[in-house]
Order: sequence, then C-alpha cells, then structure tokens
Amino acid sequence: MIAQALLSVLLGGVLVYAWAEYRRSPLVGALSIVAGLAGLYFVWMPSHSTLVAEFVGIGRGVDLILYLWVCISLTVMLNLHLKLRAQQETITKLARSIATANVVEAAHATAAAVTAEEAPQPGPPAAADAHTSRQMRGQSA
Amino acid sequence: MYVICPAFNEARTIAGVLAGLAGQGYEIVVVDDGSSDGTRRVAETMATTVISHPVNLGQGAALKTGIDYALSRGAEFIVTFDTDGQHRPSDIPRLLDALVRERADFALGSRFLGGAQRTPVLRRLLLRAATLFTAVTTGLRLTDTHNGLRAFTRRGAAALRLRQDRMAHASEILAEIARSRLRYVEVPVTIDYTEYSLAKGQRAGDFVMILLDLFAHKLRR
Repeated sequence: MIAQALLSVLLGGVLVYAWAEYRRSPLVGALSIVAGLAGLYFVWMPSHSTLVAEFVGIGRGVDLILYLWVCISLTVMLNLHLKLRAQQETITKLARSIATANVVEAAHATAAAVTAEEAPQPGPPAAADAHTSRQMRGQSA
Repeated sequence: MYVICPAFNEARTIAGVLAGLAGQGYEIVVVDDGSSDGTRRVAETMATTVISHPVNLGQGAALKTGIDYALSRGAEFIVTFDTDGQHRPSDIPRLLDALVRERADFALGSRFLGGAQRTPVLRRLLLRAATLFTAVTTGLRLTDTHNGLRAFTRRGAAALRLRQDRMAHASEILAEIARSRLRYVEVPVTIDYTEYSLAKGQRAGDFVMILLDLFAHKLRR
C-alpha cells in the first residue's frame, strides 16, 4: 500500500508535467499522459499487467513494464539530444554574429611588409592603423 | 581570391602556414575558433582578416563563418586551408586551375590521386571507409573525402548549406555538393603528415560520432 501511494504521487506529477508540456509539444504531452495513466492503472491493478504481458508473449507484468520503460527512456534521450543540437545551432548563430561584428582587419600594412621582404613587388600603401577592429556593418567613415 | 584558414589552438604552426600563403595576392581570412594559446595574436600580425569566435564552436562552424564572410565581401573564389601545416600553398593554384579548366564549382584536394604518398595505415583504412560511405550516401565518386584543402567558386560556396559545427562537416560539405548538382573535380594534393597534424587530426573513434551527428541531422530535417 505504501509503494502504491508513493508511485501514485509520482505518476500524478508526471500527469501534471504532461498537461503543462502538452501546450509546447502535443506529441510529447500526449505520450506522457498515456504513460502516466497506464502507470497509475498498473500500480493499482498489478495483476492486469501480467495478463497483458502474457497476451503479448512476455512472462511477467514487471518485465513488460521494464521493457516499455527502456523504450521510453531511449526515446526521451533522443529527444533531448535533438533539443541540445537545436540549442547548439542557436549558440553557433549567436557566436558567429558576435564574431562577424568584430572583424579585425589585420591590415595590409603588415601583410605588405611580409610581402616586401619575401618578393619585392608594389604592395598596397601601408595603412596607418594596423590593428583596428572594424564593424563590418553599420560603420560610416 | 579568399583563403579561409580555420584555426583552433594552432600557435605552434600558424605562423609558418600564414608565411607560406603570404605574398600570393590572396585575401587570407583566419577564423580563430576560440583559441586560448595566442593563435589570434599571431594571426592578427600576418593575416588580412581575423574573425574570432568568442567560444570554440568547431571546425565546421569556423569554415562557415569564413565562407560567409568571404561571400559578403564579394569573393569570386574561396579556398579552405588547414592551419596545422598539413597542406602546401603550392597546391592552391592547381585547385584554381582545375576550377577554371574543368568549369567546375568545387575542386577537392585528394591525397590519393596521383603521387604516391605515405599515409599511415590506420588512417588510410579509415579514409577508405569514409570514401565508401560517401559513395553510398551521396553518390559522389571521390578518392579522398576528408581533405581540408578545397576550392569553391562563388556559386559553389553560396550553394552550400552548412549546419554541422564539428567533425561531421566534411561529410556535410560533400552531401551539399551532391545536392547542388554542380560540377566537382578532384585534384591531387600533397599532405605533409607530422606528428603534430596527426595528433590534431581526427581519430578512429570520431567516426562513430560523425555518423551519429549525421543521423541526428537527418532526423531533424
């Protein structure tokens, strides 16, 4: 009875989470609701899980639930992985826009100096300020 | 003519690489990928342009940053060139020649075409496997799928949609080349393997992660 009460509270939490998640992602929300309700049902009717297990060809109800749980957690992991990737792409875009807003025109001054040493040829006139950080866009003068 | 040099903690080699590229009239764009070892300082004294990622994003992201920048500056030709010292600047004109001569939009360096080179055995096997993988997944017939020395025309570079930040970018570039249906050509180039470049290069285990990355990418499309 104690275990059943504890599990019911936990699964109730899952249902609350599922309800909240439903607005963001109906699919994840719906699956969570199904999993939570099924969990509650089997917690209070343990013998029924064995009936289902026998029907699909698995020995015990506990085993059935274990297998399902493995499948669910793998799916959750995949989902998390995809979310992390999406987040990484956002970070990349952010970092790239910061980087391209602060392009350092390391200047032809030094490049020309190196060039002049290695092979004499008319280089571009040495710019006065070699290491100015310039804005790529939105700069005037 | 823009040469994009992605660099992550290459302070030991980048000066030599940039010196080798200097004086050819190239616009040298170093994309410093969040290095912490002074790579950026060296680059700022020797490159035409230095773009610095505030954090390390990966080589694929660095290439895309550089390519986007070059396109925004009106580049007609874009070359990608690693900064660990494995490529030879003298191979660049041959890539560009091939683009023009073959009317191609992509010229890809290959270490297995032409000249016999000493490629370490394990690396050679991995690269063979990658070649097969590429043939199966993209239909491209290449001899070397993971060579950092490439040249694109403006049209070619603009056709690439790159989203892989890290190691899977090499495969992604090829997939995008296949998708673009533009002409590509392979050009023999020389790779100078050093202990340093081998240590910095990809390892066998990375290929598992590359496959996973590409798979996840497919799922999200």
